[in-house]
Amino acid sequence: MIRSSPDKPNPLASPWRYQPEEGFYDEVLQPSGQIRPHWRGLTESILSLGEGGFRERWKEGQRLIHDHGITYNVYGDPQSTDRPWPLDPVPLVMDPGEWRSIEAAVAQRARLLNSILADAYGPQRLLKDRQLPAELLYPNPGFLRPCQGIAVPGGTFLHLYSADIARAPNGNWWVLADRTQAPSGAGYALENRLVCSRVLPDVFKTSNVQRLAGFFQAYRETLTGLAANQRDNPRIVLLTPGPYNETYFEHAFLARYLGFTLVEGGDLTVRDNHVYLKTLGGLLPVDVIVRRQDAGFCDPLELRPESMLGIPGLVQAVRCGNVAIANALGSGLVESAAPSAFYPSLCRHLLGEELKMPTVATWWCGQEGPLSYVASQLHNLVVKPVFPRPGDQPIFGARLTEAERRQLVSKMRAEPGKWVAQEQVALSTVPVWEDGTLAPRHVVVRVYAVAHAGGYKVMPGGLTRVTPSLDNLVVSVQRGGGSKDTWVLGGKAEEQLTLLPPASHRLPVSRATFDLPSRVADNLFWLGRYVERVEAMVRVTRSMLPRLTQESDPTQASGLQVGARILSHQGYIKRSREPLESELLALLYDGARRGSLGHSIHLIHSVVWPMRDRISTDAWRILTRLDQQFAAEPPPEALRLSAALDLLNQTVITLAAFSGLTLESMTRGEGWRFLDIGRRLERSLQMIELLRHGLASDPTVTRGELEAVLEIADSTLTYRARYQTSMQTDLVLDLLLIDEANPRSLVFQVARLAEHIEQLPESRSRIRRPAEARLLLRLLANVQLAEVNELAAPETLQAFLHKAAADFRQLSEILTRTYFNHAVTSHRLTAP
Amino acid sequence: MLLRATHTTTYLYSEPVSICHTEVHLAPRHSGRQRLVEHELLIRPQPAQLHERLDYFGNPVTFFCLSEPHETLTITARSIVEVAADAPLLAGISPPWQEVCDQLRRRDNADTLAAAEFTFESPLIQIGPEFAAFAAKSFTPGRPLLEAALDLSHRIFTTFTYDQRATTVTTPVREVLKTKQGVCQDFAHFFIACLRSLGLAARYVSGYLRSGPNSIGAEASHAWAAIFCPGCGWFDFDPTNDVMPAGNHVTVAWGRDYSDVTPVKGVALGGGEQVITVAVEVVPESANTFPAAG
Repeated sequence: MIRSSPDKPNPLASPWRYQPEEGFYDEVLQPSGQIRPHWRGLTESILSLGEGGFRERWKEGQRLIHDHGITYNVYGDPQSTDRPWPLDPVPLVMDPGEWRSIEAAVAQRARLLNSILADAYGPQRLLKDRQLPAELLYPNPGFLRPCQGIAVPGGTFLHLYSADIARAPNGNWWVLADRTQAPSGAGYALENRLVCSRVLPDVFKTSNVQRLAGFFQAYRETLTGLAANQRDNPRIVLLTPGPYNETYFEHAFLARYLGFTLVEGGDLTVRDNHVYLKTLGGLLPVDVIVRRQDAGFCDPLELRPESMLGIPGLVQAVRCGNVAIANALGSGLVESAAPSAFYPSLCRHLLGEELKMPTVATWWCGQEGPLSYVASQLHNLVVKPVFPRPGDQPIFGARLTEAERRQLVSKMRAEPGKWVAQEQVALSTVPVWEDGTLAPRHVVVRVYAVAHAGGYKVMPGGLTRVTPSLDNLVVSVQRGGGSKDTWVLGGKAEEQLTLLPPASHRLPVSRATFDLPSRVADNLFWLGRYVERVEAMVRVTRSMLPRLTQESDPTQASGLQVGARILSHQGYIKRSREPLESELLALLYDGARRGSLGHSIHLIHSVVWPMRDRISTDAWRILTRLDQQFAAEPPPEALRLSAALDLLNQTVITLAAFSGLTLESMTRGEGWRFLDIGRRLERSLQMIELLRHGLASDPTVTRGELEAVLEIADSTLTYRARYQTSMQTDLVLDLLLIDEANPRSLVFQVARLAEHIEQLPESRSRIRRPAEARLLLRLLANVQLAEVNELAAPETLQAFLHKAAADFRQLSEILTRTYFNHAVTSHRLTAP
Repeated sequence: MLLRATHTTTYLYSEPVSICHTEVHLAPRHSGRQRLVEHELLIRPQPAQLHERLDYFGNPVTFFCLSEPHETLTITARSIVEVAADAPLLAGISPPWQEVCDQLRRRDNADTLAAAEFTFESPLIQIGPEFAAFAAKSFTPGRPLLEAALDLSHRIFTTFTYDQRATTVTTPVREVLKTKQGVCQDFAHFFIACLRSLGLAARYVSGYLRSGPNSIGAEASHAWAAIFCPGCGWFDFDPTNDVMPAGNHVTVAWGRDYSDVTPVKGVALGGGEQVITVAVEVVPESANTFPAAG
């Protein structure tokens, strides 16, 4: 390949086929076709890599996204709660001089919006001075009257602010939208950097790209400084609406990155005007709440009553100054587009400054002049309700017919104060990688500012988003758009030395382990149980497959029945209706069937998803692969039986790797303990089931049954080593029930459980052993003292197992009651 | 005129409530036509602390938290209020209603600006042409504001049916227009919706009505509406009883609608099934309750 020179007119034309559209500003190419100076480093690097080289690099990037599990949720798509995050490998490059003016403008706007909030929740002088129409404050659903007059620490409402900015054809930047409620995307910007700097490490290094870590460090300092009592180590929690939120991945990622505990509303409680985190060890005071949930949903008592996601009494706790919330409750007030029509004058009035970056031309129709203008210019404008409700879409005047336009105008004339119109900006273009070529797309950059040291500090970078196609002017990841890393040049060279991880080491380490909310302990407990349950099911099924083809041999046939009895007793197969073979294959390959293997694995996935911040990346990757393996198209009918054994062998290994990694990568804290308790408890119950259906169902036990039991219990090897080929019920029972050296034996599980229970908060805090500890000691003695000779008689064994199973079920109930008791529901009291 | 109001709310639960946060609007506020003489709030079980403040609209509000398990909660508010018994301003001499609308649009003084708060939609009160259409029969061009409002109140009283089973606290006001049934809260909401749809300012008033054979809605807390007249202030209208309150109504709180001034609201954890009973009694306070001056 001939190396193109970036000095020649449009070196991206061939073979990359990059051809910007007329009428738009292109970020890379000057109108002459030459590369803009600040893009030269990157384009040279891309040109020298060539199409093949770039493709290789990008494969690595996609692998990173997959392995890091970077996802987002698409609303209304129950099939896929999490989709891979759409990142484009070509970053947006920003000139440092130009960035300085963007920085100043975004910081100014954050100060302006903060001042407007302070006035709205304070003296409301802007209304009295006729600087802001009452129509934009009083009916605004974001105006939370209970928050009026609440003093916010340092007068700061907006701890984090973001502006969506875009470049018009004349090269100037405009603000398209403000995010003040709970700005999202800063975490994705960081993840984009992580991936992109690995895809293009050399040019990233030589370009002196400004680092993002300092911004997050400032954010953390600001949040820490909010703690009312200025404790050395305040407890900060990140409040998420939950795993079904669009950006849940980001909530989990930021919580982990900043060292905060990720909580849902139900994990917090207010007592005597203080906020507490409900943990296994009891209630722990919370100093600061980083809010990713809309303020209206934060307190069902004083804010939106229909929401039960919130924390009753929270507003009162804030009012008393006992907890700080970032962003302050009520800060969503200034997200609407309509007030921005007044920002130039408000900026002069409040800050005594000229607005540095204009908002895209905005007309609030509540005044006669703007209304007539909007009505006459509708074909050039985008019209929106002043306070959009969920599901409201912007109306593009250009796409309406003449009749539709007339209809819209008469709607606007009926209630003019409820409408706002904005100019439709011809967004600038950037190249995106599209299967070997570079194609132009429109671009919007979300820039972040954090309140810091009395002013605002702007992230040197941001979340760049691109439209799904060139004729689309809406950037939205929800609607198929993509994202990019944002490179602001002009960083200091020495900063480049530490590249990965993204300077997380610069943040002060807060504590070794996270506080464990009861809800998470519950999830971990069930994760342990589900994984073990699936493993048992796989082992049982695997024991049956080879025996299916040897049914003429009576030993094999009776061995087959052990598995068949277990699976049918547990409701996985129906024995009477279908031949065993087709039932087993359906269990393996019919993902839609309840209780099928694929379904059970998906259950594990759904338990782990809300705990993304606590599961290691490797463990998550294994699980995702397993889930995908079962979601894949099954092999042709004829090959299924032979493929089945491979699939099961593979699954046993993968599950072992998952539980191994999960356990090994977790600190030996309470989280780990509950995971292992779940696992041990389930393994005990599965062993009881196995012995019941294998050795206690018929008056006489066959050799085939004993062999199958040993195989399912993964103890064949040990048994053979001890007793060679002789098969005796009492010897098998000894190995599986009371041999403390066998990690599959019942006594082994009970001993581990007893150890765990001794370490739980209830046991440590009380002088007398709690009920669950006494129960386990009794159970342990019962199993240790069992006489295998007596138990070899099926009725005796049956009775023994029945009793043990009841004890384990009781243990599970006590644990649930003591530690996970968050299922009690709240209800509202109202009385006339 | 001295009135004594006793308002008791009792919650009975089938299972213990472990924690409950409650906010009450039960202390009558001062206003031009009434003076609070005495007020006490009794809560059983007794909360560790009561937090009192004025809400956004200047109403006294009390917040408390019960964090000990309980199966009954009783809230009793006892108040003695002196209310003006003279008839309010003559309706006929108020300005034409369209002139009032113009002033409310201009908002060129502090009073009209403050009243603007009550011209918009609120959580339980929508605005729309259907309400304006209903109001139009009373609000004919040039008619004095209060005369028109009195007529609207009278039409609601005569055409709507008082029925406690017809609605709940969250029945939308559009539904009330359709069914023409409800209780005092619904009639007040509907009255306000009509006025706001015309561009007028109207607020929701929560309070009590003196018990008597001809008082509708006196057995529980009562509700009516007030309308703003520039230069004169706010005038109360009770469409449930077709009167302009004078001497028999005790104002507790006002806001945009019921959701701003709910007498008792709370969120409780646990409790199972619950039974609520509310009892209100308003009687004249005999003079000898107070030692004679001197």
